[in-house]
Amino acid sequence: MKKFLLVCFSFVFVLSAWAQERVVTGKLTSKEDGSALPGVNVIVKGTTNGTVTDADGKYRISVPTSGATLVFSFIGMESQEVVVGERSVVDVPLVTNLTQLNEVIVTTAGGLQARERELGSANTILTKENLTAGKAVNIAAAMQGKVAGFQINATSSGVNPEFRLILRGQRSMTGDNQALIVLDNVPVPSAVLSNLNMNDVESVNILNGSGAAALYGSLASNGAVIITTKKGKSGVTDINFSHNVTMNQVAFYPKMQTKFGAGGSAYGTNLDGSPFFNYLENQSYGPAFDGKIRPLGPPTEDGRQLYTTYDYKDAHSKFWDIGQTNQTDLSFSTGDDKSSLYVSGQYVTVTGTTPGDKFTRANLRINGTRKITDKVRAAYSVSYAPNNYDITSQTGAIYDNMLNMPQNVPITMMKEWRDPKAWGNPNNFYNPWYQNPYFMADNYREKDKNNYLTGNIELRFTPVKGLELTARQGIASRGYFQKSYNGAFTYSDYAKNTDQSSKTDIIASVAEQSNYTIQSITDFLAQYNKSITDFNFNVVAGTQIIENQAKYMGIGIGGLVVGGLYNLSNGTGNPSYGEADFKTRKLGVYGKATIGYKDFAFLTGTGRNDWDSRLNLGSNSFFYPSVEASVLLSEGISAIKDNNLISYLKIRGSIAKTGLVNLGSTSPISGLSDYGAYYTKPTFSSSNSNGVSNGFPYGSIAGYSLSNGMVSNNLKPEITKSMEVGIDLNLLHDRITSSVTYFQTKTSNQTVNTAVSNSTGFSALLSNVGQTQSQGLEATLHFQPIKTDDWTVTLGGNYTYLNNKVNFISDNLPRITLATSGSATSVAAAGQSFPVIMGFDYVRDPQGRVVVDGVTGLPTQNSAVTILGNATPKHRIGTDAQVTWKNFRFTVLFEYRGGYKVFNGMGGSTDWSGTAYRTGVYDRKAFVFPNSVILGSDGVTYTPNTSVAIANGNGNNGFWSDGINRNVSSNYVTSGDFVKLREISLTYDLTKFFSTMGHKFIKGGSISAQGRNLFLWMAKDNYYTDPEYSTAGANGNGTGLNDIGQTPPVRYYGGTLQLKF
Amino acid sequence: MKRLSILIFLAAALVMAACNKYFDINTNPNQPTSVTPNLILPQALTATSFVLNGYNTYGSQLGGNAANAGGYGGFNEYVTYSYTSGSWNMWSPTYDNLEDYQYIIDKTTGDAANIYFNAVATIMRVHGFQLLVDAYNDIPYTHGLKGASELNPPYDKGPDVYAGLAVELDSAMARINRGNAMATKNPIDNYDVVFHGNMSKWMQLANTLKLKLIVRGLNNSGTKVTFANTSFDPNGGAPFLTTDALINPGFTRDINRQNTAWNNWAYTYTGTAGNKAWVPTLWILSWYDGTNLNDPDRGKAIYFEFGSIPSDQIGNRLGRETVDAPKCPTGGRWYPGTDRTGTSAGNSTGVLKGPNAGYPLMTAAESYFLQAEAYVTGIVIPGGSDDVTSFRNGVTASFIFLYTLPDLSVSGSPAADAATYMDVTNTGNYLADYSSVSGNLQKLEAITTQKYIALNYIHSHEGWNEFRRTGYPRVAESGRTATNTFASTVSNQTFRPDGLPTRILYPTSEAQYNPANLPSGIDPFTKLIFWAK
Repeated sequence: MKKFLLVCFSFVFVLSAWAQERVVTGKLTSKEDGSALPGVNVIVKGTTNGTVTDADGKYRISVPTSGATLVFSFIGMESQEVVVGERSVVDVPLVTNLTQLNEVIVTTAGGLQARERELGSANTILTKENLTAGKAVNIAAAMQGKVAGFQINATSSGVNPEFRLILRGQRSMTGDNQALIVLDNVPVPSAVLSNLNMNDVESVNILNGSGAAALYGSLASNGAVIITTKKGKSGVTDINFSHNVTMNQVAFYPKMQTKFGAGGSAYGTNLDGSPFFNYLENQSYGPAFDGKIRPLGPPTEDGRQLYTTYDYKDAHSKFWDIGQTNQTDLSFSTGDDKSSLYVSGQYVTVTGTTPGDKFTRANLRINGTRKITDKVRAAYSVSYAPNNYDITSQTGAIYDNMLNMPQNVPITMMKEWRDPKAWGNPNNFYNPWYQNPYFMADNYREKDKNNYLTGNIELRFTPVKGLELTARQGIASRGYFQKSYNGAFTYSDYAKNTDQSSKTDIIASVAEQSNYTIQSITDFLAQYNKSITDFNFNVVAGTQIIENQAKYMGIGIGGLVVGGLYNLSNGTGNPSYGEADFKTRKLGVYGKATIGYKDFAFLTGTGRNDWDSRLNLGSNSFFYPSVEASVLLSEGISAIKDNNLISYLKIRGSIAKTGLVNLGSTSPISGLSDYGAYYTKPTFSSSNSNGVSNGFPYGSIAGYSLSNGMVSNNLKPEITKSMEVGIDLNLLHDRITSSVTYFQTKTSNQTVNTAVSNSTGFSALLSNVGQTQSQGLEATLHFQPIKTDDWTVTLGGNYTYLNNKVNFISDNLPRITLATSGSATSVAAAGQSFPVIMGFDYVRDPQGRVVVDGVTGLPTQNSAVTILGNATPKHRIGTDAQVTWKNFRFTVLFEYRGGYKVFNGMGGSTDWSGTAYRTGVYDRKAFVFPNSVILGSDGVTYTPNTSVAIANGNGNNGFWSDGINRNVSSNYVTSGDFVKLREISLTYDLTKFFSTMGHKFIKGGSISAQGRNLFLWMAKDNYYTDPEYSTAGANGNGTGLNDIGQTPPVRYYGGTLQLKF
Repeated sequence: MKRLSILIFLAAALVMAACNKYFDINTNPNQPTSVTPNLILPQALTATSFVLNGYNTYGSQLGGNAANAGGYGGFNEYVTYSYTSGSWNMWSPTYDNLEDYQYIIDKTTGDAANIYFNAVATIMRVHGFQLLVDAYNDIPYTHGLKGASELNPPYDKGPDVYAGLAVELDSAMARINRGNAMATKNPIDNYDVVFHGNMSKWMQLANTLKLKLIVRGLNNSGTKVTFANTSFDPNGGAPFLTTDALINPGFTRDINRQNTAWNNWAYTYTGTAGNKAWVPTLWILSWYDGTNLNDPDRGKAIYFEFGSIPSDQIGNRLGRETVDAPKCPTGGRWYPGTDRTGTSAGNSTGVLKGPNAGYPLMTAAESYFLQAEAYVTGIVIPGGSDDVTSFRNGVTASFIFLYTLPDLSVSGSPAADAATYMDVTNTGNYLADYSSVSGNLQKLEAITTQKYIALNYIHSHEGWNEFRRTGYPRVAESGRTATNTFASTVSNQTFRPDGLPTRILYPTSEAQYNPANLPSGIDPFTKLIFWAK
């Protein structure tokens, strides 16, 4: 970038004064890293006499013999004025200015660059400093809480959590709502994000609305995240090395009852009605803990008996490991006036909180530029990122098992299971229904291998001044291989037939899946720039061709014969197998025109037409335009320009329309993308009957079943119309920066695959119906109360208000189910916010009190499902602080989300097993249902119930484990509000230390300590889990539900050493 | 200028043509988007066996054939009878299966060459809808299976569905006759994995299904359904099923290719144990072990270790969950074989028989007992002779079914053993010895009780249906014991003297996706199926 500017500035290489003056020389460097700064403007104050620094940052200028002051200015740096005095050499270190940086490096659609002032819609820039403070492995985690209007959820747990990135709320009911990811000017699949080396990132520009992104085509109706990676700098050669060690530890464990252990009334009751203990039961409806020594499990075949105390042991939370992340980075960058080169490598190893889970990731990148002639420039960027998972395939089952296990079981002593005598050996394991979780973790494995290759080549040709032609080819490919397998275990006859044993032999099996995807994007665009008097015209015309291809193969076989050999050829019987291929194409033709007036008022119009192979021929073409305007009042109005209070004031607005083909998203295999291909016709399946595997073909008899999905005849793209207006205001020489944006979007023609009554013969219909809308406010405010040589303090934050709702769906379909967990669903419902949690509630009186039976005290479940809460946070706040003192730098970031609900899927399961906190609140005694009423005999009056108790507050068939409790979804809907300490870091800059030591070899460095998600504070009624988790996963719109597939939330803390050579 | 615009136009047309070709890549390479009816039929018939397996499971647990085994928990509403919309879902599997038959009907209507496919699919459509009515009473029928044109199908009353189904059977039988008279038509041969193209047997099945509709619709306690036509097709003198109708596409011990009941209750194809959470009830055993009736031959044919079952495993009572509740042996109590090695077990008598056994679509025994009841209640039917003969044929057919091995060979002498059962072992007991019945009520009780026994764990839902319709086999209302009733020990039901539920609820999906039409106020204890007592 700086080099490009140098080129521009060379044109302006003009005015120089002569003669009677003397010459001053010097070198300009970056204060931050000491690198030379080429292209810096050097002007003698009060004159038009100026120059720019050369490639080594050096300048030479004539100044008047006395009283000269030099002004150094460089885009992205704070301007400095230096009184020359008697000196003939003036070296100046310049300080980075983030506000000004915004002013230039905005990269927009197609790799076009625009100055901040030209943009009519909101965008936010995150610099590498913003991103790397917390040392997250995944860049998505590093962006959490930092950008107004950007909601990033870690939807899963594990060694490489998934993230869901949503700008300005969900628009599409069932289609993709995630922000478009653009890496070095080329859109890439969002999976690339989690495999990006964050240290390669120069900056991230977030285009919140669809307006600014409209030129990216339909992909950008969800906003865009534009990532620019580092390039070598001219004249600077650096080697960077860093190593980071991070620990990950369970941060929050569900609150459980700690008073009762294994057993239940099914085993009999004492005279006082208290239930019997049982040594192999996994329901915790036994007697209260008494600390006595009791047997656990039946005696073993060789006559041994395990005894433990009957008390609360907290083994549930001790089961989880403390994981560790090691990240090593090495990068090299160099450049001269013709070319630049940036090469980096990264290696990350992660061990998880689930015992035995491992993850490794490597990353290689080469970025370069080359000036071929004065008129032709080339740039390239290639990254290869392989990763490997070695994890258990039974995470959810293990967690469920742990949640259900009675609290008196000392599970951590059962880690050893291979020894036939060990208590953890499946033959000896106390519980006949659930397997030893350590055995599950070891025996059921999954190995995943991903190879990501992304890259692009770009040529820019400037035949005449003002005209630039660009050709670009980008690819993003992923190869995926998964092997999942489990070993055999043959139980002893004794174990199979002791007591109530349901132990049955485990047969070894192995399954292989592979997938290859490649996305190719070809761009041609022409840009012409011309100024006529006060007006500047910038016109762009371009075309883009996108092709996606994917191939999936899967095969599995059971009954492996040779122990420990997990190969498909080692199986018995017939294998199960499947394959799928997908291919889609899209062509976009677009144009853009910007008119600038006196460099402070701008008007931009865009238009794009897409042709999409996924729609039927004839209806596969769609056009969408946008208009945006901005006025930089602080430049245009002299009263503002000249006052000292306001340093920057811009008002802006935009109106845009974007179209998006929203078809499908997951394939039958692995949940990987099918790109929405082949959705226009219903299909027939050969190997299953409505989801049940049917064994066809049987020899020569083939069989097909009509799929349960119907498709409407004329699918169209979804159309999002959006508008936004905003204001950016900086005060007191940018000591205070602020920005406010109001936005509104409306998305119609929703392409919805909606569940329908089975009595139609089908279970879903894909058609264009419905409309959603959202509106909201995004605000950012930062101020610097202290700024001295030693101290800077910056405080601030961002706030987002979001109100999105479903306007209507269709007359027939008042709601659409997006995801399901237990008896609850996440639903798009007409007239409601989007999405809402629906499920069963109790029958209530008009005041909302639960109506119970006058004799039994039991409530009744409503036969219809009702709305139980809004699942999207209405309010989100990120607050951050940054303090630097001499060589120390301290940052902290909190995030709050509020105004929404979440359904906790583990609730029903733990109520059933009796470990849930709720089941112990009445000490397992008879109880009066809280806040309940009884309907009088007149059928109208409700009187509060204070005396009619539910008799059976205990036991295997009592209230807590019964459907009347577990099937009532509202019992597990809690507030989703939370505050998280997202990031905290303390860095000590070693640059000065090394320079005072006189080190020539080491140029700089830092040591730092950092933590992420260290604390989680949730609403009082939520004692279950992290509300960010989602059953629907990163790609599902059905948010608001979680289940036991996500292990307990984790906190990360560690330290980093960074050196620069 | 004119020339130029023509050129531009031509160029544009060329580009558009090229474009269309470039974008015409949306043909599905993974799955067909259209198939011929003959490829649907074998799958649909096989899927009906999965559907029926679900009904048998439901029927066995509501109807007293199976109880929760010791060592398993979490039965809750399944034993307390506090049913929710989530307990049991017969709905979606049945409608899903019906849609495949509907597809065949839609594709072959007016297509003379495929008249047999149309007739067979219609008969199976009737079979599926009757299952639904018998479980749910009112269901979407005339408005059902219409795809996108009826997204919220209204419900039809149970009796109206019955009347409509009888008409559909008439038209299916007429089409078989028309097909028989046609010189050229597509034979259905081995696409038909039930009768292998024997259309006379399809005619028998149609007549027998119609007989079931009429017997239930013209209930002994009054006419519940107005049928347009109550006559049957003589089918060359053999109007009703005389042999068991079995679904078998070639079941074998392989992944997803086992008889589904075997796969569920005995062993999976790898040899691991099937579901061990259920055991026979003491009540059902009492019909074999001499408590209610003495039937050691069928007992041994069905149950593992019958007569010598260890006392701690002898059967359970629904809802009894105490620590000493009987447990289930590996491979289940319903597989009588002594070879208990999962990878070689099979080839046995009884209800599960083996991984390769055909799955009963309708048994000959049910056909005979329906005929017997028709004779008693005065429904005019062709063929046959009288209720005595039909009753005896029914019992004998039950013995034959149970004695038949997976390869359809018969082990032992079912006819002789059946005669011994009726005439010697239980002589004087009118429930088995039909010669000692007096009056129509006793006749009906004997017929229905024997039907209940004959369908035990084969089509348990039909036993449960007939119990609800007739009240037979008789259960105690007070002084309930494990052998005089199958009501759960922890029944929450207080409305009915027998302590039993009368029906299941509509599934949650109907509340979610068809709420405007869903009948309200459905109670598992008080809302009866229209033919029920």
